[in-house]
Amino acid sequence: MSFSLVDFLQALSAGILVGSAYALMCVGLGIIFGSMRVINFAQGDFLMLGMYAAFYLTTGYGVLAFMGPYAGPIAGAFLAGPIVFAIGWLVHRFIVSRVTGAGAEASAGSGAYGQILVTLGLSLILQNGGLIVFGSTPTAIRTPLSHSSWEIGEILLNRARCVSFVVAVIVAGVVYLFLGHTRRGKGLRAAADNPQAAIYMGIDVDRAHRLAWSLGVGITAVAGGLIASNQSFQPYTGFDFVIVMYAGVVLGGLGSILGAFWGGLLIGIVQQMSTLVFPYQLQNTCIFVVFLLIIFFRPQGMFGRLSERT
Amino acid sequence: MRSPAETRRQRWAIAAVAAAVLVLSFVLKSAYYELILTQVLLWAVLSLGWNVLCGYGGYSSFGHAVFWGLGAYTVALAMIDLDLTPWVSIPCCAIVGAAAGALIGFPTFRLRGHYFGLAMLAYPLAFLYVFQWLGYQELALPMRRDAPVLYMQFEDPRVYVVLALGLMVVALAISLWVENSRFGMALTAIKQNEPAAEAAGINTWKWKMLALMLSGAMSAVAGGLYVVVLLVLTPDTVFGILASAQALILALFGGVGSLWGPVIGAMVLVPLAEGLNAELGNVLPGIQGVVYGVAIIVIILAAPEGVYWRVLDRLGRNKRPASPAAAPRAPVVPLPHPRAAAHGDLLVLKNIGISFGGLRALDEVELAVPEGGLYGIIGPNGAGKTTLFNVVNGFLAPGSGTIEFAGASIAGLRPSLVCRRGIGRTFQVVRAFARMTVLENVIVGAYVGARDDPAARNMALAALDRVGLSDRADAIAGGLTTRELRLMELARALAPQPRLMLLDETLAGLSHDDLDGILGVIRQIRADGTTVLIIEHTMQAMVNLVDHFTVLDHGRLIAEGNPNDVVRDPRVIEAYLGKKWVERVAATAN
Amino acid sequence: MTIHTPTRRSVTAGLATAIGALAAPRIGRAQAKSVKIAMIAPMSGPWARQGQLLKMGSDLAMEDINAAGGIKSLGGAKMEIIFADDSATTEKAKNAAQRLVSDHPDLVGGFGCWLSSFTLAVTEVTERASVPWLTLSYSDAITDRGFKFIFQTSPTAANQAAETLPTALKLAESTTGKKPKTIGIIMDNTAAPIAFVKPLKAGGLDKLGLKLTVDQIFTPPLSDATPLVEKVRSAKPDFLLLLTSAMPDCKLVLEKLDEFKLAHGKIPLVSNGAPFGSPELLKTVGADLLDGLLFSVADWPMKGQEAFIERFKKKTGEAFLTQDALCGYGHPEILAAALETAGAADKLKVADAIRKMNLTTGPAAQCFPGPIKFDEKGRRVDVPIIFAQWQKGVPVTVFPADRALAKPMWPTA
Repeated sequence: MSFSLVDFLQALSAGILVGSAYALMCVGLGIIFGSMRVINFAQGDFLMLGMYAAFYLTTGYGVLAFMGPYAGPIAGAFLAGPIVFAIGWLVHRFIVSRVTGAGAEASAGSGAYGQILVTLGLSLILQNGGLIVFGSTPTAIRTPLSHSSWEIGEILLNRARCVSFVVAVIVAGVVYLFLGHTRRGKGLRAAADNPQAAIYMGIDVDRAHRLAWSLGVGITAVAGGLIASNQSFQPYTGFDFVIVMYAGVVLGGLGSILGAFWGGLLIGIVQQMSTLVFPYQLQNTCIFVVFLLIIFFRPQGMFGRLSERT
Repeated sequence: MRSPAETRRQRWAIAAVAAAVLVLSFVLKSAYYELILTQVLLWAVLSLGWNVLCGYGGYSSFGHAVFWGLGAYTVALAMIDLDLTPWVSIPCCAIVGAAAGALIGFPTFRLRGHYFGLAMLAYPLAFLYVFQWLGYQELALPMRRDAPVLYMQFEDPRVYVVLALGLMVVALAISLWVENSRFGMALTAIKQNEPAAEAAGINTWKWKMLALMLSGAMSAVAGGLYVVVLLVLTPDTVFGILASAQALILALFGGVGSLWGPVIGAMVLVPLAEGLNAELGNVLPGIQGVVYGVAIIVIILAAPEGVYWRVLDRLGRNKRPASPAAAPRAPVVPLPHPRAAAHGDLLVLKNIGISFGGLRALDEVELAVPEGGLYGIIGPNGAGKTTLFNVVNGFLAPGSGTIEFAGASIAGLRPSLVCRRGIGRTFQVVRAFARMTVLENVIVGAYVGARDDPAARNMALAALDRVGLSDRADAIAGGLTTRELRLMELARALAPQPRLMLLDETLAGLSHDDLDGILGVIRQIRADGTTVLIIEHTMQAMVNLVDHFTVLDHGRLIAEGNPNDVVRDPRVIEAYLGKKWVERVAATAN
Repeated sequence: MTIHTPTRRSVTAGLATAIGALAAPRIGRAQAKSVKIAMIAPMSGPWARQGQLLKMGSDLAMEDINAAGGIKSLGGAKMEIIFADDSATTEKAKNAAQRLVSDHPDLVGGFGCWLSSFTLAVTEVTERASVPWLTLSYSDAITDRGFKFIFQTSPTAANQAAETLPTALKLAESTTGKKPKTIGIIMDNTAAPIAFVKPLKAGGLDKLGLKLTVDQIFTPPLSDATPLVEKVRSAKPDFLLLLTSAMPDCKLVLEKLDEFKLAHGKIPLVSNGAPFGSPELLKTVGADLLDGLLFSVADWPMKGQEAFIERFKKKTGEAFLTQDALCGYGHPEILAAALETAGAADKLKVADAIRKMNLTTGPAAQCFPGPIKFDEKGRRVDVPIIFAQWQKGVPVTVFPADRALAKPMWPTA
């Protein structure tokens, strides 16, 4: 299949822009997965909550309507984070903490299964509860940014997606610094590597996990808020993104926030650029093929550490 | 491992459940209930398939829908394009599923733990898009009124119940067989501690692949019958995330890793979901999903490993069926004659080197251990002692150098093969199979040297006897003291009667009294003819134990020889205590 | 847009009904003097919106039929709809169908299920139970199975394709004086679009003198339309055939076309399918971008239904009436008409009545273009396809001329 340089660059830029939202989502999931070793099947649904939070902030109740159709959606996306952070906090406190963390470690092995089922149950509740509360009509945030672009030569860069790229990079950067350079952040990583030892060191593992969980879903929610300006969504939208998130995190490697970011970005790039060579219909299959190739040659992911010590 | 009595009881239970289902299907008057019952049975088979790999083997898979879907498409396409009857194509699904399992296992088993499960997620979704691209968005099995029986299109829904029941009975029988065989033990060992299993001689890769292939075969066959019942096939129905999740949910809910868990899960959750749909679906759309989700969460919080285990706990039964205490002890296996000293050394390491990134963990390390020797490797923390063992053992491949055992090179062999050659190993942090009994732990080690299961058992009993732990044979490993754990690990490594034992800090964490006991055991092991190479930290104990010291520091060999000499070697003192101490010692000496 | 927030009353009512439903005996109570039909539609899951619309229509139909005295030939028996949710999978769809059929052996007919794969699954059950079934789905497989009890009110995809392009071309020619020579196709790979383009690609385009310069098929849901529209930008076809069956994908493509400065008549858009006329599309994309979009659809509100349209809007709060709600109204009306003819609450007689049906007047015929008449495969006979076009923020019927509510136009830049 032949394609021109313009086609190539256009696809590449689309991939990077779309990938930035994926990257941010993956960072959120990566924090949870990396800190708590929990597979959160409800991550896509927290993404959906972020979309609706941003939507209602910008339009429904008009809180941000006064900011106009340009700045409003961006602010909405940012604010979706803390809202979902709070929801995540409550969810962890009352439900998730019972099957994860130091408590679960003690009952070796059993915690892992409990986690999976609890998050699956959570996913069902969020999706169907979302249907009841938000209704079934697909909706989106209206902004002129989503159908206008900046031009570089012949390449068109969608404005809304460029904005979300910038926001995603900023948020991911802040998170990266937080985890690497603050005490709280380092405490999270200690709690991840060895909860028992962390406890002995005076780190409140439960608190640390709650922070990780809430941070993780909150960040993914911001990604949702960003996507909400481009794509329309309904309560079951989360499904579509779950696999992207997990592929990105596994690709990036365990425990690596940077890895999760690059993993998500790579997936976006593969998804858009594969259309240059392969049938459009196989876009997502290409993601999986690339995914499987990378884990075959590099099981620890791009940035992950090799596994356990013997 | 079950006792024969227990196994017989389970067989009766399977028959009883099958009979009950048959009776139920005759009592139910509605085609709707029969349909639901059929679905319960089919989902149970998928979940039982999942359970073989994931429940027994501990590898969560979030993508079992790939087998389910491949089975369904095999039967559907065979019927539509080739006019092939499902009576033939459904059994063929077993081959399809097993082949898919093998192909999938190759790349995916490179991953561990949750990563494996997540990678599995990719397969069904990849197939989903492929099948849509191929034009199979909607497949409807043609109605064959001309030959209904040949094409499995029965008027009476009860026939489907019987067929599905047949599959479930087969699946249960297979699961029972797995549980009772070496296969099951190997999977359990892998689930509880894969590196230990590998070091104990279990070829973990082979067993995992077999488990995945069996699991895939079972799931695919179920999928084949599923499409015959459903009559309409879309990629989303069989390859979607919901299908994979269902396999998981049923097993985890019912009791993961148990024979009955998936069945319980299917019998409770499938009708529950359908019932909620039916009653609440029109009332407030979506409420049925919320209720179902809440139900799952509430029950899992109460029973994190599933209903089955919880009920057993409540009834006070042990999780593992206990071996009857009065089982006659097998006659102790006579030890081999102390082997005549081989010509040359048993284990020879030359110029061993290995790097991790920029760190040179081992550099030009040389070692020669004669047969029947008791050699010690010492050195300060981080010297590379365990790394050296990992290289010998096969967990790491040396970057440079050679390793010869009994004259043959073993560099680069996987740990289970190294074990097979006759090298046993214990670990710095005891790697017990915590949920198994002491005897079972040791039996796992014996497999590699035993012809069959009874022989393995005898060898295990003998090994326990040698270390003096026979009285604790039936205790659950998770509850042992440090001393007992170390003895158990010794026994497990000893069971196949290796020529060489690698002991990694066996004495760590022991009290003075315990120490003497273990030292005695180690001495006896050597006296019985086994060569021993021991890593230790504490000089005191070692000085009187070993024939020879090799001292490592920062990955390099800094001294070796007679223990008493080595201990006084200033380089060694410097390595342990630093330059200042050496000077002080020299100063006081003068 | 009406956000379906539950009021306390509705939640209490819901719970009360739930408890009542659980307490009620499994087999449906045989109500005196009422005749039962089934409706299976997605009420939960990703397509819940469509089920909701179908139900709005059917609720109105029940009102009208029963207010007008029920089924007169059955002594004024009231008509009752038994609902079932087919949710998100074919398994649930089949279960819903089997449940209805087993619990209500006195069902005389039914309609649904919106998604063609659900319709396929459900009709496997209803065919074996000899329950006549009406559907607006139109993938080929539905009427290709040799079934006797399935009646598809939408023209087949092949029919729709055969009519859509010639009509569009004629319109273009009469407006601009030039006949388009090149065409681009952007579509998803669900069953209906695939069936639609099959005849076109198998020579249909050649016969119309059209060269295919863009041919893109994607798997829904679409993540980003850039590579798709990039192809359109380079090839610049004379017009674009858009066959995306889900609203979110429509939005992405339309906005991307605008972004690439190909909208607002630069490249005229022709589509097929009801999602292109949905209020939610208007809400998310805006009237400006949609203006001039021409789409063919199996059914759309037509001349003579103005009062009905107003009544619908007032009752439901929806911005305008669309195919789903219209069929939700029309299908029960067809069944009512069949019952009148059959004169008995007997599913076989009702099926027979539908097979012999040739309605041109009456509330049922009002809802559909052309006479309501089915061939032996269950397909409509002699049905003109309807074209609707977005004009000033409302999608109005523009073809056929005798049922149109506005005049068509061919967009120019």
